[in-house]
Amino acid sequence: MFSYHANVFNIAMEGMMLMGAYYAVYGAYRFGHWLYGMLFALLSGLVLAGIFSLFAIALKVDEFITGIGINMLALGWTTYSLRATFQVKGAFISQTIPPIPKVRLPVIEKIPFLGAVLSSHPFLVFVAVLAAFVCHLVLYRTRFGLRLRATGEEPAAVASVGLNIGRLKLWSAVLCGIFSALAGVYLSLGYVTLFSENMSNGRGWISLAIIILVRGRPVPILLMSFAFGLLENLGLLLQRYAVPPQFTAMLPYLATLFVLYSYARRLKIS
Amino acid sequence: MSHVRSIFQTILAIVFAFLVAAIFVLLHHSSPLEVYGALYQYGLGSWFSFSNTLNAAFPLILTGLSASIAFMSGVVNLGQHGQFLWGALVCAVLGVYLRLPSWLAVPLLAIIGGLAGAAWAGLAAFFKRRYRMDEFISTLMLNFLAEYMTLYLATYPFLDPKAYVPATRLIRREYFMTSVFDVNVAFFVALFMVLLCWWFAWKTWRGYEARMMGYNKLFATVGGCDVENDTTLVLLFSGFLSGLAGALLILNGTQHRFTKGIGANFGWDGVMIAIMANNGVFQTLFYALFIGFLKNGAVGMEFETSVPSEFVMFLQSIIVLTLVGTRSGLASLTDWLTAKRELGKLVK
Repeated sequence: MFSYHANVFNIAMEGMMLMGAYYAVYGAYRFGHWLYGMLFALLSGLVLAGIFSLFAIALKVDEFITGIGINMLALGWTTYSLRATFQVKGAFISQTIPPIPKVRLPVIEKIPFLGAVLSSHPFLVFVAVLAAFVCHLVLYRTRFGLRLRATGEEPAAVASVGLNIGRLKLWSAVLCGIFSALAGVYLSLGYVTLFSENMSNGRGWISLAIIILVRGRPVPILLMSFAFGLLENLGLLLQRYAVPPQFTAMLPYLATLFVLYSYARRLKIS
Repeated sequence: MSHVRSIFQTILAIVFAFLVAAIFVLLHHSSPLEVYGALYQYGLGSWFSFSNTLNAAFPLILTGLSASIAFMSGVVNLGQHGQFLWGALVCAVLGVYLRLPSWLAVPLLAIIGGLAGAAWAGLAAFFKRRYRMDEFISTLMLNFLAEYMTLYLATYPFLDPKAYVPATRLIRREYFMTSVFDVNVAFFVALFMVLLCWWFAWKTWRGYEARMMGYNKLFATVGGCDVENDTTLVLLFSGFLSGLAGALLILNGTQHRFTKGIGANFGWDGVMIAIMANNGVFQTLFYALFIGFLKNGAVGMEFETSVPSEFVMFLQSIIVLTLVGTRSGLASLTDWLTAKRELGKLVK
């Protein structure tokens, strides 16, 4: 079983991944039919991307600060909304929240072990895998992708050619918002259907770490996300063997540190 | 001149933020005047509220300083939360088992708590020094590790069997710090740390180097600053401040024990305060007090009106954004105007 981390398409931007965590939280906000849930989540992603762009691009606030500010905005707003709209504190659980449908792959299902593993997941998982490959294609094989990457590396060069950096960054923000929102939808409507305060709990930060370590290439992001998902679930599994839950919960974060360490070691050697 | 401008900007931003938030209050079918009135009354209105505000603010002052000192030196310490937790836990546990006269134990506990925070930050410093691991990520990850480790320690080895939630035992009664005229002594400790930080940043040569690092690390290195050691020192000092905040919360807060979820927001609020204060020491103090006022008033606000206290979280974030937005926006606007003017002179 895998869990899914925001596959955020934002390589051209230096510091705007921070929203991943909190789109997740806000994305889970409205339910009715799961389609509405997704729609609202995407809308919220766009709104937050818009706010981010207003501050980071138009007003030229440092991206890191904007990111943190938006994280707090999302946390504050969702906590407040939870209280104000649903009149609950802590978590909102309801039998009527419809989860997103799971996809069953008819052929693969039959394979005894792999079948159980690969089939019957919320369809977003497959979307995520697909998205990673699509992102790769767009980033490295299209003109748009090239411009995006260039903006990240050397904005002055891009501007000198006559392209509008602001617009490119805006695109980047929008895409980031969309993906992060989808991640959020998965969190709250995927395996479990509830919303709890601060639900994303640092997963956005982990995906930020992944992105930095992998230097933004989509396919490695996918692979590493799988690895982290695996570790997280390994942690859950270990709980059954009387390992205290706190230690098992630490696994993903320890892993991040370890990856950071090995990455830095490799840098040092080379 | 720039001080006047920044004060003006601050007031403008805060007013604007309150106006924006007022829109949401109206959506909530409440009157903004009533809501803000209650906020004021419970935050500053009486001596009781005011002293409560000061007492609520002291952890914020310390975590804010922790973030400010780090950021002004170009060191990205985001680990206030974890350092806070370790400071609190160490103080809480030692407070149960240590047997010393209280006049000695209380300052000792506070300092040891601070050192625990410093040690946790020291891990990140070690990673940076030895393995060149970016402290942004390592302090972040250490936050989570600290959260789980301290929770484990409070839930299993050091658990108080009589408590309803996972928590350590109450520290010894004689270690409870007192208040002076209803204001906790810890607040004065925090004030002292403000002065200490100011002295460090502006009156010592290491502080000078740290500030130079913050302006331009390359320049500082070329200029002969000992960047590596300064970074380590700043990380340790920053960690010490957060750990101290945790320890003081245990000694002088309301609960006197380490419970699950203690100090949930102090770390991030500290970061937010540093951002708003643009890393200035006295500005940090101001904003910490302001946020303390908001937090304290929020409870009363909920009492009087129907607006939930979480609204204040939202209000806080709006304030941060409008403040940094206005600051940046005005700065880039003046830059653009200046550039235009200069260009006009050239072309003519």
